[in-house]
Amino acid sequence: MKAAIDGSGEPGKPKTLEERLAPVRKMLLACIQCGTCSGSCPNAWAMDSSPRHLWRLLLTHNGEEIFKSRTFALCSTCYSCTLRCPRGLPLTDAMSLLKQVAAAENIYIYRRSVRFYQSFMESVRRHGRVREMEFMTLYFMSMKNPMIPLKFTPLGMKLMAKGKVSFEIPSKGSGKLDALFRKAKEIEDQS
Amino acid sequence: MKPKIGRALVVGGGISGIRAALDLAETGYGVTLVDRAPHIGGVLSQLDNQFPTNQCGMCKMLPLVERDAGSQYCLRKGLFHENIDIRLSTEVVGIEGEAGSFMVRLREQPRFVDPEKCIGCGECAAVCPVDVADEFNAGLSERKAVYLPVPHMMPNTYVIDPAACTRCGECVTACPTGAIRLFRQGRQDFGVLVVDDEYTVRDSIKEWLVEDGFSVETAGSGEEALDLMKKQPFKMMLLDIKMPGMDGVEVLKKTMETFPDMAVVMMTAYATVETAVEAMKTGAMDYLMKPFDPEDLVSKVIDVYEIQEASRGEEVEAGAVVFCGGTEGYDPSTGKNTFGYKKFPDVVTGLEFERLISGTGPGGGQLVRPSNGEPVRKIAWIQCVGSRDLQTDADFCSGFCCMYAIKEAMLAKEKGPEDLDATIFYMDMRTFGKTFQRFRDSAEKDHAIRFTRGRVHTVYLDEKTGKLMISYPGENSQRIEEAFDMVVLSTGQQPAGGMDKLAQTADFDLNQWGFALAEPFAPSKTKREGIFFGGAFSGPKDIAESVISAGSASLCASVALHSAGRGMAEVTGDAPEYIDVSIQAPKVRVVLCECGSTLPGGIDMKAIAADLKTDPVVENVFTIPRICTTEGWDLLVEKAKAKGYNRLLVGACMPYAHARRLKELGEKVLMNPVLMEVEDIRAPAFRYADAEASYIQKAMERNLRSGISRLRGVDPLPKTSVPVARKALVVGGGIAGMTAALAIADHGYPVTLVENDPELGGNLNWLARTIEGYDVHAFMDSVRQRLEKHPQVTIHVDSSVMSAFGEVGNFFTTIETGSQSSVETLHHGVAIIATGGGEAPANMYSHGENDAIITQKELEQKVSDKQIDVTSMDTVVMIQCAGSREEPRNYCSRVCCASTLKHILHMKKENADLSIYVLYRDMMSYGFSETWFTEARKAGAVFIPYTVDKKPVVSVPGDGSNVKISAYEPLLDANVEINADLLVLATGIVPSLPESLAAAYGAHVDADGFFQEAEPKWRPVDSLKEGVFACGIALSPRSVTESVATAEAAAQRAMRILTKSALSRAGVTARVRQSLCSLCERCIDVCPYGARSIDLDLQKVIVNAAMCQGCGNCASECPNSASVVDGFFDGRMLDMIDMVIE
Repeated sequence: MKAAIDGSGEPGKPKTLEERLAPVRKMLLACIQCGTCSGSCPNAWAMDSSPRHLWRLLLTHNGEEIFKSRTFALCSTCYSCTLRCPRGLPLTDAMSLLKQVAAAENIYIYRRSVRFYQSFMESVRRHGRVREMEFMTLYFMSMKNPMIPLKFTPLGMKLMAKGKVSFEIPSKGSGKLDALFRKAKEIEDQS
Repeated sequence: MKPKIGRALVVGGGISGIRAALDLAETGYGVTLVDRAPHIGGVLSQLDNQFPTNQCGMCKMLPLVERDAGSQYCLRKGLFHENIDIRLSTEVVGIEGEAGSFMVRLREQPRFVDPEKCIGCGECAAVCPVDVADEFNAGLSERKAVYLPVPHMMPNTYVIDPAACTRCGECVTACPTGAIRLFRQGRQDFGVLVVDDEYTVRDSIKEWLVEDGFSVETAGSGEEALDLMKKQPFKMMLLDIKMPGMDGVEVLKKTMETFPDMAVVMMTAYATVETAVEAMKTGAMDYLMKPFDPEDLVSKVIDVYEIQEASRGEEVEAGAVVFCGGTEGYDPSTGKNTFGYKKFPDVVTGLEFERLISGTGPGGGQLVRPSNGEPVRKIAWIQCVGSRDLQTDADFCSGFCCMYAIKEAMLAKEKGPEDLDATIFYMDMRTFGKTFQRFRDSAEKDHAIRFTRGRVHTVYLDEKTGKLMISYPGENSQRIEEAFDMVVLSTGQQPAGGMDKLAQTADFDLNQWGFALAEPFAPSKTKREGIFFGGAFSGPKDIAESVISAGSASLCASVALHSAGRGMAEVTGDAPEYIDVSIQAPKVRVVLCECGSTLPGGIDMKAIAADLKTDPVVENVFTIPRICTTEGWDLLVEKAKAKGYNRLLVGACMPYAHARRLKELGEKVLMNPVLMEVEDIRAPAFRYADAEASYIQKAMERNLRSGISRLRGVDPLPKTSVPVARKALVVGGGIAGMTAALAIADHGYPVTLVENDPELGGNLNWLARTIEGYDVHAFMDSVRQRLEKHPQVTIHVDSSVMSAFGEVGNFFTTIETGSQSSVETLHHGVAIIATGGGEAPANMYSHGENDAIITQKELEQKVSDKQIDVTSMDTVVMIQCAGSREEPRNYCSRVCCASTLKHILHMKKENADLSIYVLYRDMMSYGFSETWFTEARKAGAVFIPYTVDKKPVVSVPGDGSNVKISAYEPLLDANVEINADLLVLATGIVPSLPESLAAAYGAHVDADGFFQEAEPKWRPVDSLKEGVFACGIALSPRSVTESVATAEAAAQRAMRILTKSALSRAGVTARVRQSLCSLCERCIDVCPYGARSIDLDLQKVIVNAAMCQGCGNCASECPNSASVVDGFFDGRMLDMIDMVIE
């Protein structure tokens, strides 16, 4: 129980979901369930449960339930909720943390967005910026689904026509950012 | 005639300031009441209706005993009391000395209109070219730079807003009485001497100043300057420091010797700044550094000039200072302004809404959209704007917005179209005051007001429809968008502006929320002795709480004055012996004011006089040019001194303003003021401004005739009085009773305290600490010890009141002391009921079936006895409102939510892993306890709301395992099951006031068994029957500190009576013509003040003259005209009516 409170986990063992969620919960303790976040969220229409509902699940220790919903994956980090929360809670940050937890737990329904982010960051690691073609290739490969590239074809054509995507051969890059990414991973694992 | 009496200063003329000032004045102290605004009444001058009565009724605060000492008209119009000196547009700039003998420095802002001369005709405003937003209508309408701060104010003296005024001087020419003086003209008389050895410097300065209207002389050397000063007077000198021969500092020294009042400003180059500072120690007012801008120099001179000429600084003595500075409304246009306030005209604040629906408001009381004037059909209130919001630095609840929103919604329903849709968006409806819950229920059920839980963040405009759109989370948290015609922002209270500076000036501290910091358990005391707080100055409060708090503050001030040896006024010397005219035939002398020939042309005063003289009852008619001036008044006194008449009628303007001076006149000419009247002859000229002079003249004459007939019927009775037994009885020895007893005893009057239990202390015996962490027992012990040692206090424990009867000044109470069965009868002047209350019995949620289910009180006791080990527990559940806030106990007990928060924080400290679930309906963490609510959430407690129709279900398994609580969690839309080691029920408070006890003193209990106060807002601790007061929980549920406040307020109300050896009757009271009385007793039933009783031995209906307020209910009820009100006999009334409708 103690471990679940501060989220430190037990040394040597992989963290439980409860332990991973503990720091997020801590950020939200002062929530008064007023619903400002849900009334403000521009993406609320697409969400299967509202942000308020999500926080409520978290605060009532219903962690598993959160990961049945795609709500946090739909957060577009517009910061409306953070700006408006009467308690001044870092709600957008909490959404991002949930995305991280989903990645760490490797939950199936979020694989698309998780792999999307991972592919994006992999490209950044290699070159210090995103190479769209490489990023797409990495993403399509990680999804292991031949249908996905086909789905994106019309969009790809449009982007190419406007010169938004350039052809570049994927490469391993110079590895100059590897140390930075290693450190970030270290910090992430500790927290 | 009057001995040296204690004097107090009350800062702030809002509702709490008025209460504090009146309390002290009625007790006999002299009071200086200052307000920085040009009017008294604070925000209440703008509010027409107050919850929960939806009426005004502010006048109920006026004195009830010795009421002739003060004004007896609408309190929103103004206030007068012979012991109160009201200073408007005045601020406190310094407080020196110590309790008992403060010297308070006041500064009055520049006054451009002489209130003695202004007759309120409005000619000035008619010509004023400036238009600015009118604060009175919350900026919804415009006013001129010369204006009436409150249109209904009495006297209606105009003031000039110096910031808006362009000094064009139009009003000066327009004013018929020469009351306006813009200081532009005065500058001619303000001589400035410029001393500089450089010709160009002194000459250009002269040029600048002359351009701005000052008269300027120059001198090239110190010697020349000193010569000039001998020849002509100067008010100000601009003095160069570095001059050949006699230098500036020397000139300054010489000047200060002969002209110490001269305002000297040194002029210096950088090199001699230190010399300039040195010069200021010698007596210079300021210094200017060369080179300077012409504007800087001129504005410096204007500043000095206006301070010297216009704003008058003054020092007043005061034994105690009471700060009733109030609060400021939150301005939603500051910060992010997501509601579009001031951007969309249909978004208004609560105060603006009050003005919109007011008859004196900008729209004349029509509920229409400010944007297009169309009727409002759909309106929303958004709660917690500027409250409970960490983003606006307001981690507190303003405590009154929920109630005013409900009131406003009700008023909207009343004033708007029949199908008006009113919605209140809220987080918790905080209906924690007495009768508030029923008020809310009635709003929902009887007035169909929609209450929607959810916080609205943004208001935006739908350009196509022109409607205001808001979005909020629905029941299942889905986002709902809705259109409204009007949105009202329920703005909260904020610390008043300039708190920091005032705190520094007066040397008190501010709390973390920016309000004044009060001492523990002493809601009105500051850290500095002799300085006290009343009203919302120390934290947001509604009217009733402010009035209580002001009473508490005035009591503390009274104790401070008393202990400093400044006793209360004892009217030594005899009351004036008026000439007895009862057997003389009425002879009316009429004195008419010509109003400085400002009456419309064609009105012939002489003709009026001649006409009046035809009435045989009129002895003579005189005219005086202007009664309102000092000379005019002296002339009136002279006319009144000449004998030959026995009634005096004054025809003038503003009868209210003059009426107060009649008493003074009466003392001079030894004529009972009842025999004098002021009749308003100026009003017809305003009212019928467009009519012909002859019509106005007729109306004036009609008024005068009605005045004459009123005087003809006056029949002054000898002044009678009711003696007062100057002792108090306090029933109940809890903290409220003990505090009240001690407060009275500290004034040197004997007090008897009666307590049922064998020991004093009441609920404080089991209550260990407060949410702030204050030690309750230490506090109780200190009060008890002081009480037990006090020579003026007699304590009867294990005793009860057997029977009681009597009236104010003379109650007789028989006390029975249990163990010895001894009986004692007391004769006392006032009774304070402080019978308290206790925790309501828990007859729900399986209480009693399992040891794990306990009440809040049991928890408190078990925690202090260490019978509960929180560290061994996993889960605790608390259920709020167990039995409260639904019939039959449909009221909030107000202390339970704060107790819950206290327990959560305590338990979480002991065991951080403990899961705590609170099942609540609305968390009533009003005021600063909101911060504890935030803390409790941060500590990890989970709060789950429930509704009355979906209450939690408690089941107790037979096998001794944990108690199971099942509750519906609306946000998850699911039932949650909680296994609890401990279930705590917040059952609330029930009173322990026997109805018979209240009845014995002529008081009543309300539907819930609490003491029925005379008026929930204006007289919160009084009974309708004078001389009976209540405090503490007997009144309504409240915390320890709040109980102390009510106890002090009740003691203060009692002091008004105890400080007098006899209560004299007012000029207008009722009496019974015994020969006509059939003893039907109907008048006794209708008397709202309980002033009538039947004496069975004498077979007579008796009127207590001190209690009678002269309302006339009895006279209109009496079938025989046996009950009459002095001066309002049938004959006289009919005569007056004849005169008016003739």
